[in-house]
Amino acid sequence: MLIYILKRLGLALIVALTVSVIAFALLRASGDIATALAGEGATPESIAVIRQTYGLDRPIPVQYLSWLWDVARGDFGQSYFFRTDVAGLIFGKIGNTLILGAASLAIALALSIPLGVLAAIYSGSIIDRAVTMFSLMGQALPSFFLALALIMVFAINLRMFPASGADSWRNFVLPALTLGYYITPPFMRLVRAGMIDALNTDYVRTARAKGLPARRVVFKHALRNALVPVVGLVAVQLGLLMGGSVVVESIFALDGLGYLAYQSISYRDFPVLQGVVLLLSLAYVVLTLLSDIINAWLDPRLRAA
Amino acid sequence: MTAPLLSVRDLRVDLKTRIGTLHAVRGISFDVARGETLCIVGESGCGKSMTSLALMDLLPRVAKRSASGLTFDGQDMMRPRVAEKLRGRRMAMIFQEPMTALNPAFTIGDQMVEAYLFHVGGSRAAAVDRAAQMLEKVGIGSARSRLGQYPHQLSGGLRQRVMIAMALMTEPELLIADEPTTALDVTIQAQILRLLKDLQRELGLAIIFITHDLGLVSRIADRVVVMYAGAVVEEGSAAEIFEAPAHPYTCALIDCIPQPGKTERGAHLGTIPGVVPSLIGRQEGCAFRDRCALSEAVCARPVPVRGHGSHHWACIREVAA
Repeated sequence: MLIYILKRLGLALIVALTVSVIAFALLRASGDIATALAGEGATPESIAVIRQTYGLDRPIPVQYLSWLWDVARGDFGQSYFFRTDVAGLIFGKIGNTLILGAASLAIALALSIPLGVLAAIYSGSIIDRAVTMFSLMGQALPSFFLALALIMVFAINLRMFPASGADSWRNFVLPALTLGYYITPPFMRLVRAGMIDALNTDYVRTARAKGLPARRVVFKHALRNALVPVVGLVAVQLGLLMGGSVVVESIFALDGLGYLAYQSISYRDFPVLQGVVLLLSLAYVVLTLLSDIINAWLDPRLRAA
Repeated sequence: MTAPLLSVRDLRVDLKTRIGTLHAVRGISFDVARGETLCIVGESGCGKSMTSLALMDLLPRVAKRSASGLTFDGQDMMRPRVAEKLRGRRMAMIFQEPMTALNPAFTIGDQMVEAYLFHVGGSRAAAVDRAAQMLEKVGIGSARSRLGQYPHQLSGGLRQRVMIAMALMTEPELLIADEPTTALDVTIQAQILRLLKDLQRELGLAIIFITHDLGLVSRIADRVVVMYAGAVVEEGSAAEIFEAPAHPYTCALIDCIPQPGKTERGAHLGTIPGVVPSLIGRQEGCAFRDRCALSEAVCARPVPVRGHGSHHWACIREVAA
């Protein structure tokens, strides 16, 4: 198991370094940085000064290494637009995004695992069809529509939860419900398909032949094996949630990473964009590593690989 | 004569399909006495596996079983929940595919003790001791360390031994073995058969052995039930079946067994021409008549059951061909 984790860790490091090269190249490819920094109508002399000040006249590999060193110490450079530290900017907003992502994921899993199991046990029945309909709606409804509907009901009519802001946990309820329901269908389908497969396996028949109660057969023998692909999907969806919740973050005025990425693109604020891209990619790398480790725990056959 | 351990009367298994009801098992009857080996023989699709699953009440949801009598040690297994309480405790089952019959996610030890703890109870340590004992009994060395291993770390033969040890954890009186050696190579097959016979003698176990391999039957069976197209065509002691087979289907099956010394090198082994009839809908008359060399017009009418003593067959012919 330890060897397996070390191997995965090595692989993750290689991917992380590759990602850093791409993130670095992203900024270089956006045009001449010195010209951009100097602003419109700058003289060639002042551009040259800037180029020297920021070390942009050095060879590219040297620039990359010094940038990597800065990043490793948490220095992501300066934002063109906000005129502040990129690191401070990102870490000020990442908290909101992480809370929203974790809460949505928790809602999605709490919905999809029991529903998926139920649909699999009664596959083909009216229960199965009702569950499938419910999850299909989650996929078909645009998230802005559900968000507005939730605001109408729970914020305006019932006044149970606030419609915007990020001051307390109550602010996260409606956006997390919106996003959670939105990402439920893929989980539900995966759990249902995995459970249908698992329930038809020989080892489930063995478990039943041993006279184990149905509950144990379903939740121990079948579910454990059905969850392996779900863990991988969790990693992917969490990564998507971190960067892709722009719409929901904007509607609920929840100042998070997705919204920041959207702003940095519209303001051509490349250092911020670079920081966000780098961070999201690293998050993906870490999540994949975690899902590999969890899967190795779930399925001992993977540990040998 | 003492009461049989298992008594099966007019057992039927029906599966609803799109094109009609498939009668997989068409009213079969047999008894199993304590400590004896009953072999159920037949081709693929003759209903022998469906029979075993019906006995354990493990049929898939689309299949429905019915019977005029199905008792285990006097308990009516057609009543709800009775089979559920007996299986895994007083009657156990092992399967054809040892490679997939164990759960890949749990250790051998965990899978061996869980049913024991559920049925018998006691401490986990005591159950683990018993599991190690059982592994030794089925001939697995360094049993303690095996308990911590996962199924994928064992060979097919070892896994089938684990399955047997696991099935015998609760000292069942009946073991249903559904083609337990078909997926194993020949030397391992012989070892497993010997192991089953030894365990049977030691534990007084009754075994229902389901197979398509008549050669194997001759080595282990006390009594034999030959099934064709969901029905029993012949039943008798091993001696009666092999020395005086009465039903043309049984004779044809026996012709398919190569016999060392008798069967000449390069000679064609017997084959049975034709295919098994569809099991959908009713079957009038003898199901084997289309493939039978001896069939007559009267075979299309209901077939009488003939026989004497423990030997019975369903054929219009009085004596063996």
